[in-house]
Amino acid sequence: MERKIFYLTKEKLKELKREYEQLLELERKRSLSEKAPQAIESEDLNPEFVSFQENLEFLKARISELKEILENHQLILPPSKERCRFVEMGAKVTVEVNGQRDELMIVGTLEANPALGKISNESPVGKALLGHKVGDEVVISSPVKTVYKIKAIKYEIS
Amino acid sequence: MKNFVNFFIKVGKLKSMPRRGWVINEIKNPESIADHIFRATLMAWFLGTKKKGLKMERLLKMALIHDLCEVYAGDTTPYDSVLPKDSKKRREVVKKWPRFNFFQKLKLKKQKHEKEKRALKRLVKELPPELRREIENLWMDYEEGLTPEGRFFKQADRVENFLQALEYWKKYKKPPQGPWWEWAREYFDDPLLLEFINQMAKHFYGNKAIGL
Repeated sequence: MERKIFYLTKEKLKELKREYEQLLELERKRSLSEKAPQAIESEDLNPEFVSFQENLEFLKARISELKEILENHQLILPPSKERCRFVEMGAKVTVEVNGQRDELMIVGTLEANPALGKISNESPVGKALLGHKVGDEVVISSPVKTVYKIKAIKYEIS
Repeated sequence: MKNFVNFFIKVGKLKSMPRRGWVINEIKNPESIADHIFRATLMAWFLGTKKKGLKMERLLKMALIHDLCEVYAGDTTPYDSVLPKDSKKRREVVKKWPRFNFFQKLKLKKQKHEKEKRALKRLVKELPPELRREIENLWMDYEEGLTPEGRFFKQADRVENFLQALEYWKKYKKPPQGPWWEWAREYFDDPLLLEFINQMAKHFYGNKAIGL
């Protein structure tokens, strides 16, 4: 079976590694105690994940998910000077669509968050923008045709 | 049992709460939030079986609880912050997909998330702790895409919404279809759901959709 590669920015990778270590620690503490676990008092722990400690199934599922991601990730690196003119993974692309401007960042599926303008390289628009440069007009084929005019491309990843 | 009775009475309100996206598009007798949950759960089941490795029980539970918070939070749409009161102007606004700068996007997402989180906590507070935590965890997974089930259902949920939009468009010539396609081509990336959407396109547009 083909191995799934998770494309991650350095920032996201750091965040996931931190979460993985915290959850492993949580699991270790749980296994040391047969009683209901006490809340881990750590300022570092993301409060969104605190509830995971209360449910072993969730905790294990997330740990195994993070393990798979960390074992199969590929870092999104800034392109060479030559390729900076083009849309590649990690690019922030200013586009004009139907008379409106927007900034779309092309990321991997795991980091995609369209509500925040982070779109997946596997989405039809993400895929179509890749390889294009400022001035290009990218037509997205669907029953209703949409044209993306590329106004600017920048890279803010390290 | 008293807490269960109270809970189900509250949840029952979703059967008569219309989906806001259709209300702002002036759809007659629009579907309710519960109607949406019903078909989204069926979709999660049928399409989820085609995905390798998904935990079905988790996926279906997630589908069932994903919009429960709307009992108190109500339904929201991406248009809410830009919607004029005047119905004529409103009809113009919904012809375009609303686009915002990064800070506006961040603010809107955070506001919605916090409002819904508070609403869910309020709704489940009288349930037994284990059930309460399970519901809150499933919702957080759906919101943040923490597991393959969470990531898959986040998109499957939107496919149901998209299908309903096309059904209404076919029947009433509204909502305008342009913004939906513009949004969909940026939003979806799951290969199976993209295949399903292409099939939807063929159903509603016939030959015009060939070659997508």
